[in-house]
Amino acid sequence: MNDLKEIFYKTFIYDDRYLFFLEGLKFTLIIAFFSVLLGLFLGILTSIIRDYHRETKKMKFFSKLCDIYVYVIRGTPTILQLMILYYVVFKSATLSPIIVGILAFGINSGAYVSEIFRAGFEGIDKGQREASKTLGLNYIKTMRYVIFPQALAKIFPALGNEVITLVKETSIAGYIGIVELIKAADIISSRTYDYFFPLVVSAIVYLFLTYILSKVMKYGERKLNHGV
Amino acid sequence: MVYKIRDLSKKFGKHYALKNIDLDINENEKIVIIGPSGSGKSTLLRCLNTLEIPTNGKILYHDMRLTEHTYKNVQGKIGMVFQNFQLFDNLTVIDNLTLAPVLNKIMSKEEAYETAKEYLKQIHLEDKENTYPRNLSGGQKQRVAIVRTLMMNPEVILFDEPTSALDPEMIEEVLTLIMEVSKKNITMIVVTHELKFAYDFATRVIFMDKGKIVEDGEKEQIFNNPKTERLQKFLSNIK
Repeated sequence: MNDLKEIFYKTFIYDDRYLFFLEGLKFTLIIAFFSVLLGLFLGILTSIIRDYHRETKKMKFFSKLCDIYVYVIRGTPTILQLMILYYVVFKSATLSPIIVGILAFGINSGAYVSEIFRAGFEGIDKGQREASKTLGLNYIKTMRYVIFPQALAKIFPALGNEVITLVKETSIAGYIGIVELIKAADIISSRTYDYFFPLVVSAIVYLFLTYILSKVMKYGERKLNHGV
Repeated sequence: MVYKIRDLSKKFGKHYALKNIDLDINENEKIVIIGPSGSGKSTLLRCLNTLEIPTNGKILYHDMRLTEHTYKNVQGKIGMVFQNFQLFDNLTVIDNLTLAPVLNKIMSKEEAYETAKEYLKQIHLEDKENTYPRNLSGGQKQRVAIVRTLMMNPEVILFDEPTSALDPEMIEEVLTLIMEVSKKNITMIVVTHELKFAYDFATRVIFMDKGKIVEDGEKEQIFNNPKTERLQKFLSNIK
């Protein structure tokens, strides 16, 4: 019992090490938050470009570009994308690892979000677009007022999954030198020679984060599903 | 003349859904198109608002060649009522009615709401204003859908089997509303299997079979004195 107490003390209290965890948590949250935003932005943009091409046959070049983006990202490991972006693409740039992390995770998530929205758009009855057309609505208005809201309601659970996956995936940011939660735990362990508390506490923190997220998503799902 | 159709053909793969159709449609005509399923009725209707693009031939709408491109000039003037209603599931009844006229700047928001409420009163759904389509019966949905096309002040309304997806007890309320609408100065073209309705409603009946117009005439002539064997057979099969 005393052993446990001592390890706990060494892990969190001594030298204010709990601040180290908090700092790690802070970076986890920052990267997760902004890469979710970037991923949603990229995913929605690319899925709409692809949908626009499918519906009107215009913008073929950009649509193909989006296809390639999705194909490449889904076909390679996230950790490889992260390292290529940091060690190759932005090698000579003095970009903070945090920014590179946000870019990497955002670009990665965007491809999955794009596929989720594509499935959502394609899942809407073709007649909804036909009805919009006969009512004089152009592509943008149809997308904005009819297709997107319905698709969003349908895919919201899948979108929630993607967000939760992304939050957990940010734990590999340590590979490019970001001291996020897992890296912080790792560093503390290497000083105390104890892995129990740092790892279990990290796990609990992640569980707590994803619990909050799934609650938020459930709430959003209810709000969106009033009509559909 | 509203529509002038010349040598219209539509192919799906190798199959001709429409073959060499010639047809003139005048203002304010109330036309019913009948015929066995697969005869090209719906395809013809859907060519009239470019939901289908013809393989051959041309359609003039008030002397304007109707193509996917020129359709933009007449959008909203050609309304359509679908078999499966196609109300916007994400919008309430009132928003379904006001969305298009407001976005197309046909009415102000206030005007659109006033007009929509007036229409809802006429179809006895004033209490459903804030209801979502999924909470309406099929008949109620179709009546809202019909009113939605009226909100655009259309010159033409195309009805694509408007009662085929309805339970029998709801067919009447929809047909009654279509009869009501026929008093307006709107060209109406209805694809339907309801022959009794066709007789009450139509000024002109077109019988199609295998992608062609087989008979085209006044309803008395079509129903009481069918000239072709195919039409005679079709009518006797239904009766």
